[in-house]
Amino acid sequence: MKSHSLHSLALAATLLIPAMTTAQVDRTKAPAAGPAPEVQLGGHTSFTLPNGMRVIIVENHRTPIVSAQVRFDIPPIMQGDIAGYQDMVGELLTSGTARHTKEQFDEQVDGLGAQVVGSTNGLYATSLAKNFPQVMDLVYAVVASATFPAEEFEKARTRQLSQVQARTDDPDQIAEVVGNALTYSKSYPYGEVPTEASLKKATRKNAYQYYRYFFQPKQGYLVLVGDITAVEGEALATKYFGSWKGAEVPVTKDANGHDVVQDLGPIIPATRKPPVPRDIRVAMVDRPGSAQSVIKVVFPVDLKPNDPMALQAQVLNTILGGGVFNARLMQNLREDKGYTYGAYSDLRSDRWCGAFSGGCSVRNEVTAQAVTELLKEVKGMQQAPVTAEELALAKSFMAGSFARSLEDPKTVARFALNTYLNELPVDYYKTYLQRLDAVSAADVLEAAKRFLRPDSCTVLVVGDKEQVGASLKGIRTDGTVLDFNVNGDIVRQDPTEGAVPAPVGMTVQNVVDAYVKAIGGKKAVEAVKDLKKEYTTTVQGMPAVLVEYNMAPNKYAMEMHVGDMLVQQIAYDGERGKLKSFMGEKELVEDELEEVARNSYAFPEMHYAELDQVAHLMGIVTLDSVKTYRVNVKTLGGSQFDEYYDVATGLKVRRKEYQGQEGGGYIQVITDYSDYQPEAGVLIPRTLHQGGGMDMTLKAKSISVNKGISPLVFSVD
Amino acid sequence: MSMRNLITLTASIMATTTAVAQARDIQFTEFDLPNGLHVILHEDHSTPIVAVGVMYHVGSKDEASNRRGFAHFFEHLLFEGSDNIARGEFSKYVEKAGGVLNANTTGDRTYYYEVLPSNQLNLGLWLESERMMHARVDTKGIETQREVVKEERRQRYENQPYGSILPEVLKRAYAKHPYQWPTIGYMEDLNAANEKDYKTFYKTFYVPNNAVLVVAGDFDPAAAKTGLEKYFGPIKKGGTVPRNTAVEPPLKAEVRDVVYDKIQLPAVVQAYRIPALGTPDFYAVDMLNRLLSNGNSSRLVKNVKEAEQKAVFVGSFSLPFEDPGLAIAFAVANMGVSPDSLEASMNKQFDRVRNEQVPEAELTKLKVQIETEHAMDNNRMAGIAHNLANAYTFLGGTAKVNTEVDQYMAVTAADIQRVARKYFVPENRVVLHYLPKNQQK
Repeated sequence: MKSHSLHSLALAATLLIPAMTTAQVDRTKAPAAGPAPEVQLGGHTSFTLPNGMRVIIVENHRTPIVSAQVRFDIPPIMQGDIAGYQDMVGELLTSGTARHTKEQFDEQVDGLGAQVVGSTNGLYATSLAKNFPQVMDLVYAVVASATFPAEEFEKARTRQLSQVQARTDDPDQIAEVVGNALTYSKSYPYGEVPTEASLKKATRKNAYQYYRYFFQPKQGYLVLVGDITAVEGEALATKYFGSWKGAEVPVTKDANGHDVVQDLGPIIPATRKPPVPRDIRVAMVDRPGSAQSVIKVVFPVDLKPNDPMALQAQVLNTILGGGVFNARLMQNLREDKGYTYGAYSDLRSDRWCGAFSGGCSVRNEVTAQAVTELLKEVKGMQQAPVTAEELALAKSFMAGSFARSLEDPKTVARFALNTYLNELPVDYYKTYLQRLDAVSAADVLEAAKRFLRPDSCTVLVVGDKEQVGASLKGIRTDGTVLDFNVNGDIVRQDPTEGAVPAPVGMTVQNVVDAYVKAIGGKKAVEAVKDLKKEYTTTVQGMPAVLVEYNMAPNKYAMEMHVGDMLVQQIAYDGERGKLKSFMGEKELVEDELEEVARNSYAFPEMHYAELDQVAHLMGIVTLDSVKTYRVNVKTLGGSQFDEYYDVATGLKVRRKEYQGQEGGGYIQVITDYSDYQPEAGVLIPRTLHQGGGMDMTLKAKSISVNKGISPLVFSVD
Repeated sequence: MSMRNLITLTASIMATTTAVAQARDIQFTEFDLPNGLHVILHEDHSTPIVAVGVMYHVGSKDEASNRRGFAHFFEHLLFEGSDNIARGEFSKYVEKAGGVLNANTTGDRTYYYEVLPSNQLNLGLWLESERMMHARVDTKGIETQREVVKEERRQRYENQPYGSILPEVLKRAYAKHPYQWPTIGYMEDLNAANEKDYKTFYKTFYVPNNAVLVVAGDFDPAAAKTGLEKYFGPIKKGGTVPRNTAVEPPLKAEVRDVVYDKIQLPAVVQAYRIPALGTPDFYAVDMLNRLLSNGNSSRLVKNVKEAEQKAVFVGSFSLPFEDPGLAIAFAVANMGVSPDSLEASMNKQFDRVRNEQVPEAELTKLKVQIETEHAMDNNRMAGIAHNLANAYTFLGGTAKVNTEVDQYMAVTAADIQRVARKYFVPENRVVLHYLPKNQQK
């Protein structure tokens, strides 16, 4: 590689001539470090007020500043159809108290040169030490007597609505909001998305009652840091919060034992774990005209702050993409490929649900390549131990960060608060550096295997669909890319699929008749009394066998073996159905029974009416250059599927089912039929390819018509 | 003014200035090396860390007009290594030692720094001296950073709502001065930069007599002095550094324009030409901006955002440039509010400041805010290091790191009204209305 010295040779030569009398320094290598300095954690004072509120005080007189943090330990709770009210709590806290209008409050804060900022779970205030006692008075007024004036609520709501509107064009906002929805699902508090509708439904009372219910001394902390003595701090804490009682909020209980708060509703904390994708799900939010694609790889992680492997997880994240310039993501995507200004990862622990988010913003034309590299790097952490050099750099960096963070007295306070909130061992921070030093490459590998899931995650791309959409089809073997809107809702594909109308007068019956004719004619088809189809395939790399049985009129059974194990077995006797799997046995009911009933006829296309299904001819759709009739079938149970028949041959080539997903949305399961071969005069497809969640090709091993099947196969008892 | 008012006025000024004098001053020593490198040392043994920073007095205003963005691109290149440091090793040394590193470029200067554990001071000195003495880049490094900088431009400016505001303002606010282009530059010039450019730029600007080295934190001054003399001493002094001489003539008439952007909410930007950093009027203008937008009781926030509900966000900020800069007032409209309505609301506040002198109580409020900020500013070693270098390079002397605050405190209500009348006037401003693309006819 051509190297450019930024001096001409002549100049460089001049520099090599020693010009000093002192000992010549060897510039060719880095100087040795001196002896490692001792890292002093510094202490804090803590005590509990009679009302249960905990107080933490850290004295530091380097600068004449004091800060106060009031924090309430509030679990994440579902907002539901009023999502967004929690985002308003912070600004409403400082919008008026029993003693101040908002205007008066603002004047007082600014007049003291202070900052007082509310949040969903508390308040932060800071000022010069000499003004701090007056600031504490304001802090107390807010915590104990915020009034959430109606007028201010309306203003706050209007601003939130404006922000929701602005989200549409802000790629980072979209990636954040939709990223959360895809990480946790929208039926989990962290994944909820405020919309225009939900904000309009939210009321002042929702926010106000939230504050009153949760801002209670028994789950409260007051943290004082800075130019204040423990004695002064204790005096202020006692003066203002010593006898603070918190609002009295009457509650009733609902059927599940949850508190129900008037004008807010049931308090439902997050207890379930968010669902994990089955495989790599590719999601796109179209932002036409984007100059870059904002890419995020996300999935939920079961990792609490006090997990025994939490520190190893942090080391893992540092090496992968956690802020060092030498992290794998930065070195690959920026320094090697030049795709991006910065690539990062965040493996986050949380008391309720942790998460992983890794990604970067790249120019459009390298979007798919960047996704590939991101996934490759995440997977790479599981495939081999990290190098000794990487491990040493990460640990050294983290130790250095720890030491540097102690420059700010608020750090030690944060440590004390975290110890309580996250239920950490009392000596967690005192032993941090030595525990960090002990982390090995094997530990990091174990953490990677436990916490990362490169094969079952969501890849989110916010960008110009016209420019980059096609390239994303290459990520999954079945090419599925799910479209989402800026609210994290799945967007239905063009429901007409560009269909053109079928010839006038053409009906579903015409299509079915053509199909029956193509596969052998009505007589041959009706002569099929029993049918056994045996397919082979692979599931997760292992050989698998699927056998399906039909017996006239509508008995059905199937068995699926993967390796030696019977994975699933269904029996349907025409009325009742049974499912047997390694999890046990159960009788099929409702949707599941309906689905099996659909398969119970050997040739279900001839039986739409008997199955209480309504079929419509939707037109002619071109699939991979083949013109097909699309027949949409809606079932009584409310589900639907589409079937596509080749216009030229009459054969059925595709079936598309819509499988509902947890938390809303659906995925399409597409089965393509090909290689029709005759058996007893009837054409039956020998190759089935299934996409959309599973990527499976089934090849017929044997097809038997009218060879006899034991009735026990269909027995439900 | 009545006697009583005068006494109150004097008392309040006295009170605040005395209070500031009691605040802790940043102690430092400084000296020059024979090669012209200015050195500033600040000891603080509270935490075992040390910050090492080098400020080069070169920025985007020193670029040729067909190499816009070069100074910042060059900053990226200066992480690529030296005669003794291979590509990729520079940051590795710092991170392996438990430190952080970064750099930033403005119109006027480029600043590099590391924060390291205190036993690694020599590492910091070696790295920065290597950079200054014989930095080196190879083709792969150049081509990679070229793409990285282009991605930075896309990420920060092109793919962000309202991201183009600064470039759009600058190109209308300046016709002669290099401030007319943003530090990030333009793609076509970034693509055109070549080997000769790097060599010339380096030789011209990256010389010890154009730089100040700061060391702040837990170190032994004698050891530090020895170390920096060992590493920086042999670096040869450079030639006279060319300085930008372009002087921007007055605007003379309001410049008004519409920009269509990928946004949902319209925005209004007003950019006023203001005096250079460090001049007396600069401080009066900055106080005016604080009056307008610092805190919820400030003029713009209280009226435009809160009372009239015209804005989701509103603020007014000084851009502190070495040559006469800009004050930028920026507001994003609340939904359903037109930019004209929003601008009218903003203009009402500018009118008020021009027509009515600021009441003393409000001025006192600003001073308490300044005093608080000043105390918070010098909280961490990295910040102190930067502030020392900045004071030396732009404020007329390192001592200004402690006394600059006095210049704020000396601003009177009359000063604020005076600068409002002089600078915050239509004929001295660029106004842009940012509209959603779907409104473009």
